[in-house]
This record gives sequence, structure tokens and C-alpha cells, in this order.
Amino acid sequence: MNRFAKFTITCYLAMGSGLALADQYALVSNDVQPLSNKVCATCHGANGQGNAVVGGPSLAGLEPWYVRNQLLSFRANYRGGQGSYIPAFEMQDSVAELSDSEIDELVAYISTWPALDTPATFTGDMSHGSELYASCAACHGIDAEGNAALNAPALATRDDWYMLRQLKLFKSGFRGGHPDDAIGAQMQAAVSVLETEQDMVDVVAYIKSMN
Amino acid sequence: MADRIHPTRSSNTKGKNRKVTRRELLTYLAATGSSATVLQASAALGLVPDTTVDIPQIPRVDPVNRPSVVVLGAGIAGLTAAYELDKAGYDCVILEAAPKAGGRCLTVRSGDVIDEVGNPQRCEFDDEDHLYFNAGPARLPSTHRNMLHYCKELGVELEIFINENKEAYVQDDAMLGGKPLKNKLFTTNARGFMAEIMAKNFEPKQLDVAFDDWEAESLIGAIRSFGDLSEDDLYKGSFRAGYLKGGYLEHGVQEDVVAFKELLKSSFMRSVLNANEGETGPVLFQPVGGMDKIVDGFVRQLNNKIYYSVAVTSVETTGDGVAVAYEHNGMKYMLQADYCFNCIPTHLMTGISNNFSPSYREAMAYVRRGEAYKSAFQTKTRFWEKDDIYGGISWTNQPIRQIWYPPHGMFKQKGIILSAYNFGGGMHFTKLSQEQRLETAIEQGEKIHPDYRQQVEKGITIAWHRMNHMLGCSARWQRNRSGMTAEEERLFNRIREPEGNRHYMIGDQVTLHSAWQESAVLSAHWAINDMVKRNSGGSSMPGRRIS
Ligand SMILES: Cc1cc2nc3c(=O)[nH]c(=O)nc-3n(C[C@H](O)[C@H](O)[C@H](O)COP(=O)(O)OP(=O)(O)OC[C@H]3O[C@@H](n4cnc5c(N)ncnc54)[C@H](O)[C@@H]3O)c2cc1C
Repeated sequence: MNRFAKFTITCYLAMGSGLALADQYALVSNDVQPLSNKVCATCHGANGQGNAVVGGPSLAGLEPWYVRNQLLSFRANYRGGQGSYIPAFEMQDSVAELSDSEIDELVAYISTWPALDTPATFTGDMSHGSELYASCAACHGIDAEGNAALNAPALATRDDWYMLRQLKLFKSGFRGGHPDDAIGAQMQAAVSVLETEQDMVDVVAYIKSMN
Repeated sequence: MADRIHPTRSSNTKGKNRKVTRRELLTYLAATGSSATVLQASAALGLVPDTTVDIPQIPRVDPVNRPSVVVLGAGIAGLTAAYELDKAGYDCVILEAAPKAGGRCLTVRSGDVIDEVGNPQRCEFDDEDHLYFNAGPARLPSTHRNMLHYCKELGVELEIFINENKEAYVQDDAMLGGKPLKNKLFTTNARGFMAEIMAKNFEPKQLDVAFDDWEAESLIGAIRSFGDLSEDDLYKGSFRAGYLKGGYLEHGVQEDVVAFKELLKSSFMRSVLNANEGETGPVLFQPVGGMDKIVDGFVRQLNNKIYYSVAVTSVETTGDGVAVAYEHNGMKYMLQADYCFNCIPTHLMTGISNNFSPSYREAMAYVRRGEAYKSAFQTKTRFWEKDDIYGGISWTNQPIRQIWYPPHGMFKQKGIILSAYNFGGGMHFTKLSQEQRLETAIEQGEKIHPDYRQQVEKGITIAWHRMNHMLGCSARWQRNRSGMTAEEERLFNRIREPEGNRHYMIGDQVTLHSAWQESAVLSAHWAINDMVKRNSGGSSMPGRRIS
């Protein structure tokens, strides 16, 4: 059974308080449950808006090629190995069994979520952040608009808490440290310009300000 | 009793009018009154929650113009709200994301799926009525009057749940080289030595409270009997710990005394003696056949009003009601109702589109999600019965923490044993793969029951932190142990207030006593009472109130 076929049908029904459907107290079935859109939504929010409370970043508005790369990285064990962080672990497990065509369908589905603005949750030293960003701009673009050719996603609308966390993971080698993860290795090398946690806070705050 | 309290008893306070603390007061009550007095006093002082049956008195609504209610989540709180409102004539529907009702009130049987994110499992237990695993709640305290009220009203048969069993074990790697000790030996020896110390140091004249001779005699008598001391006030072992041999037809031989220093090596000295007090003290109940028989009871009454596999995606207040968008089988729907009662976990609501006010959202985002882990095995035989164990808990300081023996299905061939339970933690297991979880549980269980590996089969695990549509267990409002801060009180009070006068958050998550179904029920009652109060006046009149 194609688990994701249902994503393609979308219709809106306006209803009164009497519903037309009447599924009864059903047994949970393996076929419909795991890895449905609901699994994604549980952490990443009903419309991909993200949910910092459970550690799920926003997905709405992500470039499809980037979503695909990340799903593949989780599946290949490049990402999600950082021992103590449960959300990453959940992500890796959720993706482990996906087939290529299921990844295609997921990418297509996620791209239907309209881009959203994520709020800034912290501030930093903007001028310092702007200086540090100069080297990031080489790949991510002057306005953080991203560059698919260099595998660099757009940044300004992403969650700041998530970007900060990822910078730390690149820095500590948990992301980009796998010997076969060429794209990750590129970014891991690039974060060497960010020496302290404050550097990371400042550059992320600056990135958010470009939004 | 108040006259017994000496206002300047404590040596470390200077002021003469130092107030007696709650704890001291209880100590004095305990020294002077019966334990019943202490319990009643505890409830009055707020240490043990005090519940009364308070089924909301809902004025019947105009049957022609019934107000509509949408309940989000078929947890115990949502089911309670829908059940009561439906009885009063409201037009109710429940939207539930999972394919079955109950939420955390989950019982797993043959063929059921545990829908854990990234780790879905199918339960392979044999298909027999007594072979079930209460993966969430398992105990109903006899003081949870509202839960018991619903069990009675919904026809849910109860039986006694056994929490404490002195024949079960205490195992601690730091004690006796990790060898498990029968609980009866642990407690009898611990109490004996403690009593000996108390008796040796008992000097009525030195106490700050004056005891007369009779009272002093009574107290030393209590100490002696607490520890089963010999006539010279020494602890020399006790038959309370059982017989090493004999006792019936031949003279009994006592079990060896376990050195007090050995017991003191174990942190269980601080918990085993009081593991069965407060809410987990006797008497406890369980529904015959599984905790979800309570869910079945509600579902029978709410037939056709619960919609499954319906994930709510947006909740907006509209001034005179609440608009809910949801998804079912890839299709999106909208629903408008006059009122909304919502038990979706707050930490998931923050990921659901809404038009809530900033203060309401702030309160939702503040609550931390709790952790809990359980696992279970089917066993080839009820091997614990050969060890005189019927129900109850073995305690260990290993990550599995507890082993529970089923209090039902005595003498049948097989049973379901709870092989790990960490409430409020368990992240150790949450991170492991299914195979690792089961293997770890076996290795650790072997320290208590040497033939454990040969006995267990068909394991199942549940990490509540990773359960789909849940991602957590009991809500945590307090960031530190010293109690709720004023800020936390403010957020808590905010979330209990309805949003836009129409939307209520319910569930144990909006009570001060999460992790009990009683709290979930009381939250629903609270919200209904608040709704009734705000709308009193016109609700029993035909038609819709317009001013
Ligand atoms: C391990 C464990 C042990 C426990 N032990 C005990 C015990 O011994 N005794 C006791 O009384 N209590 C115990 N509890 C606590 C008890 O389970 C809870 O207090 C009670 O079940 C909470 O009910 P609720 O209605 O508040 O919430 P929940 O049961 O959490 O209900 C929330 C509901 O919302 C649904 N939902 C989530 N997202 C959506 C969405 N987007 N759309 C629609 N629906 C959604 C969920 O599927 C779920 O059904 C225990 C809990 C756990 C986990």
C-alpha cells in the first residue's frame, strides 16, 4: 500500500456540527499508522510551522532539494547520531525505512506547505554577526537567499533556535562528521570561523534580521 | 491538640514566636494522635490531594437549539467532558487523532500496535483475556472518587490492584554485592535497627514536649513493636521476615539478620519503607481486563460521536464559537461549534495553527513535557508464583527500576510481567533501539530472577516521549523543586481561563496534580462548571440568548 497517496487528495468541506464520517473505535493498523503525515505533524506542526517545544523545526518553505538531501542524510545515518538528543534520534528512526519513492512523495508533500515566517527568539550583536556572516555569504548568498548549486539553503526564514543548534552540531562534529557526508563536510569546515557560542548567537541573530 | 505544641521547641531558632512548620505539626500529631488524624490533617494541609465527587450540575439545554461542543482529543478528560455535556443535551463530537480512544489510558493486547515515532511495534502476546499490558495508567487509588464514580456509572468492573508485596525483591548493586533481597527481609531488618536506635536514645525528659508516664510508655511500646525488639531493646531478627525453615510442624528457624550497614549502602533505605504510602498506598484498584475498560465504558455511551484518525490542524476562536480544521484520510475539513474542550497536549498545541492570544500561547509553550518509560514481557510460566510472589513490585536501582507481577490471572500458565517502569525518566531506554531495550530489560531482570531470560518472551516497550500524538507524559509546570513561582502560578491560572470565552484547555496537564486520571476528570469538571457559571441565566430558556 502506498502510504503517502492520501497526501495528494485535498479537499475542503465546510460542515455543521454533525460530521458525515463515522469510523468506529478502530484497531490501530500498522498499514495506516506509522510514517503517515501525522507522524511528521506531531513534531513539525500541523502545517509544517514547526514546534520548538518538542524540538521540531519548521519545514514549510524549505527548498525541496534540501528536504530531500536531509531525508537522505538521516536515512544514511549522516545525521541524527548525536547520542543524547531525542528529536534527532526520532527523526532518524522515522526515516530509516523510507523507500526512494516515498521520499519523493514526502518531498512533494512538504513543498505544498506555504512558506511561513518564524519569529526570532533571541538577539545578538548585529554588527559582529554581520562581519561573521561575510564568509557564510559565499555559499548562502548576501541576503541569505541560498544557492542550490552549492547545496546551501536559504536561511532568513528558518528558526533561529534550530540554526543555532545546527551550528553547534557542525562544530562538535555530530553533523557533517560522517566520512561519506560530502555536503555536511563542506559546512563543517565552514563553521570553523565561528569560534565561540557567542559568535554563533550573533551570526544567527544577524541572519534572522535579514528577514 | 494545639496546646501540645511548644512554640520555642527548636534550638536553631532564636525568636520566641517561631511558627511551627507543617512538618513539625504533623510530627506532633503523629506522636500524639492516630494515623487517621495525620491523614486527615495532611489532606487539610494540602499534602495529599483531597477530592470530592463533584459531577457538574449542568442546566439542561433547549433541545431545539442545542449548543454544540467540539471536544479535541479522546483522552480521559475529553471523554469526561463529552459524556457530561452529552447527558445535559449538548450536541457533542470528539475529534481524536489516533485510531482509538483513550490517549494515555492505553492497554495493549494481542495484535495491538504501539504507535511510537520511528519504532512502531505490534504486540505478539497470546490472545487471552488476562494477557494484557497497561502501558499507561495501571492503578486507581481508592481516594480517586471521581474515577471510581465513573467506573460505577459506566459498569466497569474493578478488582484489587496489589502494589506492595513483601515477598518481592529489593535489588541494589551497592548492597550485598548486588544480590536481591526479599522485601520482607529489607523492611524487617531496616525497621528493627531503626527501632533499636530509637529505643536506645529514648529519653522522655529530654524531649521538648512533655510526655507523661503513660504517654512515654505508649511511645516506647510503639517503638518496640515497630522493630520487633527483644526484651533488652535490641534487634535480633524477627519472624516477620519469614522462616528460614520450619515453623509449622517443627520449630521455626529465623532468617539471618542482614547487617544494617549493608542496608544503609542502598538508596532504597530512603524509599522502600514508604513506597506504599500516599496515593500508591492500599487500597488500589484496577479494572478487570485492562485499564482501557474505562475508555470502553465512555465509548459505549458516546457511540457515533467520536471520530478517529482525525488530526486537528487549526483551532480558532470566532467570537461566538470556535472553528476547528482537521484532516482525515488526506482530506481537510472545517467544523464550527459553540464551545471547544481541548485535551490535546499543550506541547503539541504549540504546533497547531491558532489565533490564541499571546498570554495563552505563552502558557502553553511554558509547560515541559514529562518522561515515562514502560516495558513488558509475556512469560512462559508464572515463575514468580513459585517464589511466593502474587502481584506487587520488585525494586532495583538499575534503569528498569521496577518489575511488576500481575495481580490477576493467578495460577494460569502465562502472565504479563512489567519489565521496566521509570515514571518521570527513562530516557536511557527511550534512546535505544527495540532490540537493545528488550535485551537490557532481560539483563537487568536476570539480577533479580536468575532464570528470567529463559522465562520471558514477546516483549513490548513504550517510550511515552516518542508516542505519536503524545510525545510526553505528564505535564511539568514547575521548573524547580521548591514549588511554583509566582510567574508559574500566573501562567497556570491563565491556561485554565477560557480563550475567547469559548475554548477550554482540559486534561491532567491543566491541574496541579498531573499523571493521574482523577486530575484529567477534575479538569473537565472544572471547565464545564466554569462554562455553566459564565452562561448562567439564559441557558435553560428556549432559543439562543441574544443579550
Ligand atoms: C506511564 C504512565 C503511567 C500512569 N499511571 C497512572 C495510574 O496508575 N493511574 C492514573 O490514574 N493515571 C496514571 N497516569 C496518568 C493518566 O494516564 C493521565 O492522567 C490521563 O490519561 C490523561 O488524560 P488526558 O485526557 O488529560 O490526556 P491524554 O490521554 O494525553 O489525551 C490527549 C489526547 O489528544 C489526542 N491528540 C493529540 N494530538 C491531537 C490532534 N492534533 N488532534 C486530535 N487529537 C489529538 C491524543 O491522541 C490523546 O488521545 C499514567 C500515565 C502514564 C503515561
